[in-house]
Amino acid sequence: MSTPASWLWLARHEARLAIRDLRHLMTAGGRWRIRNVAISFALLAVGLHLLAFGIVAPHAEMTLEAGTRGFTSITGTLLLTFFLLLSQSLEHVTRLFYGRGDLDLFRSSPAPLRRLFAIRVLAIAVSSILMSLVVALPAVNMLALLGGLRWFAALGVAVATALAAAGIALVLAALLFDTLGPRRTRFAAQVASAIIGSAFIIGVQAVAILSIGTLSPRDFFDSDLVLSYMPPPDNALWIPARAVLGSVPDLALTIVSAASVLIVPMVILSGRLGGYAIATASVSHGGSRPVWGARLFRTASPRQLLQRKEWMLLVRDPWLASQSLMQLLYLIPAGLLLWRFYGDSRGALLVLAPVLTMAAGQLGGGLAWLAVSGEDAPDLIATAPISPTYNLTAKVEAVLIAVFAVFAPFLIGVFMHSWLMALVIAGAIFLAAASSTLIQIWFRSQAKRRYFRRRQTSSRIATFAEAFSSVAWASAAALAMNESWYAVAPTIIAMLVLTATWSIRPR
Amino acid sequence: MNMVQSVSALRVASLRKVFQRPAVDGLDLRVGQGEFYALLGPNGAGKTTTLRMIAGLMQPDAGEVSIFGIDALANPIAAKRITAWVSDEPMIYDKLSPTEYLAFVAGLWGMDPTLAEKKSAALLDWLELKPHAHERCEDFSKGMRQKVALAGALVHEPKLIILDEPLTGLDARAARLVKDALLARVREGCTVIMTTHILEVAERMAERIGVISRGRLIAEGTLEELRKQSGSSNTSLEDVFLTLVAEQETTQ
Repeated sequence: MSTPASWLWLARHEARLAIRDLRHLMTAGGRWRIRNVAISFALLAVGLHLLAFGIVAPHAEMTLEAGTRGFTSITGTLLLTFFLLLSQSLEHVTRLFYGRGDLDLFRSSPAPLRRLFAIRVLAIAVSSILMSLVVALPAVNMLALLGGLRWFAALGVAVATALAAAGIALVLAALLFDTLGPRRTRFAAQVASAIIGSAFIIGVQAVAILSIGTLSPRDFFDSDLVLSYMPPPDNALWIPARAVLGSVPDLALTIVSAASVLIVPMVILSGRLGGYAIATASVSHGGSRPVWGARLFRTASPRQLLQRKEWMLLVRDPWLASQSLMQLLYLIPAGLLLWRFYGDSRGALLVLAPVLTMAAGQLGGGLAWLAVSGEDAPDLIATAPISPTYNLTAKVEAVLIAVFAVFAPFLIGVFMHSWLMALVIAGAIFLAAASSTLIQIWFRSQAKRRYFRRRQTSSRIATFAEAFSSVAWASAAALAMNESWYAVAPTIIAMLVLTATWSIRPR
Repeated sequence: MNMVQSVSALRVASLRKVFQRPAVDGLDLRVGQGEFYALLGPNGAGKTTTLRMIAGLMQPDAGEVSIFGIDALANPIAAKRITAWVSDEPMIYDKLSPTEYLAFVAGLWGMDPTLAEKKSAALLDWLELKPHAHERCEDFSKGMRQKVALAGALVHEPKLIILDEPLTGLDARAARLVKDALLARVREGCTVIMTTHILEVAERMAERIGVISRGRLIAEGTLEELRKQSGSSNTSLEDVFLTLVAEQETTQ
């Protein structure tokens, strides 16, 4: 038995909560599901290994002699992973300060807050490591199988990447807090997290489009243009890449450096984290700022009222608006592509159709969740003299109008080039957004709007169905743009996904 | 006002709802026009389920609900047009101001905008929300939120107001304002049906009281009539209530 409030005691407490959360997430509370979850994981593992085989097999023979070209490719992949982990860790660290949960209990107890926060930062690092390993393991297994056991060193680099991401996230969160204060840090951290998560890949794609005219990061890293700017193979920049390829000294250096990136700020900052949490408890939302939107409701039909209400709530909640619209960052490369090749390359424009369709499906799903499940006053709407169908229709219209408002500039741009292409893309956007909206209606589950980020964990089926239908409509759009009758196949798949989702919807 | 008129404000017949066990089990209820009716019962007695079915928030398994002669199950829109619902947990929009919220509610009930504006201003003034009329509700206390929700229920001038524990969590001043607002409406001819665990409130405000246990109405009447039914005189409503519930549980 460990002493109450000791390091070990707190770590056990956190671990117990984390394991129970994870178990609940996987089984939704049902014992009988554990077997199903195990089978699903086994199938997923097989699928990921097959996918990894297809991607990494050509590189299995790469050695420390790979040179700048090989090191650039590996470092690019590591950077992509690092930024994704940093994005997630920054969100988790920020949540430490703002989540109330059991924090008030700890704050009112004699247990040292510094210790609690240090344990919680370590827990974030552990979850980041696990995520990193889950992503890396199939690829590393396949590489080890085809190219030798030396590839397992890459798992050490995956751990180091996660440690460094957690440490830098802690420093960034503290900087944001000290600079912006408790009221603005949450929003700023959410935006920063989304930008960090997407910036690297978007940046690479943008530079790739502007320099060599391709969306593919792999082609970009392989290009002579990039390689001409890279340092020689013995440069310190390539230490992590050499560690991935099995160099033990480089691996040790990478892990030690990454661990210091986490531990040093943790020791320095953990005493201040409790203070941050206390500061967030007394944050005001700034409600004293007068708002004057009542006139928008005065001359509207109930349908317009419901729609305007949805838009007003979204516009007035910068955090929610940013979460919904952040996915649109991925449209920046598409916009660049449109601008770069406008009028002189039909082929490049074809790439736009699936990108826009996919984004419309995801945006539509997010907005539909807010409108349908994230209704803050469900009793008011349910007791109003309007039928449920009328209410639902109004909300669906609100979602679709918002989606088309976002994509209108792209559609106008394509329309100036070819009205037929614009029509195909508009149709695909409508179908993808409408499909995601339908899925959200079928799987609606009342929740506070602030739980928007957790919507994807509340129903895995809805999340996967949304993703699959968006991918299917995106494929159909791409093929239809090529005037291929094969577009019928993904259309049928999309319809099948919708039918299957409808048939297993909760009743 | 203690009379049940020919067309009742609310008539519930053989109402039934079963979850794992019957929550409401063949309930019959009649509330007259302009009456203040309090529905009491121990935790899990079926009070909230009953009110949610009356308000159209939940579909009964069996039974009838009639509001001012309108079959609320067959014609819910017409029934909702003259009904308002207030729950113990005020559900309002954090990002709207009280003025905007009331304009939205008035629009949903199809009120004339000019009239709605006047009513909103008067209600906000009466409920002491005027200084906060244009602030977003997100920083409001529980009491202020409940007052906004109550204003929303009153703004469209309902004939029947259904309230589920509306005084939970309110301080004395806010509770007094809410009670005064409800009594004023009743004086104007509005009908109120309310559940509460604060028996003094029921004792002072309600003209008739219904006691519900295990989904059934076990006693009903004025305080005096309830005293007679429980076989005790000159006792408080709390004593009467505890006696009636204990008798019912012993019988079962």
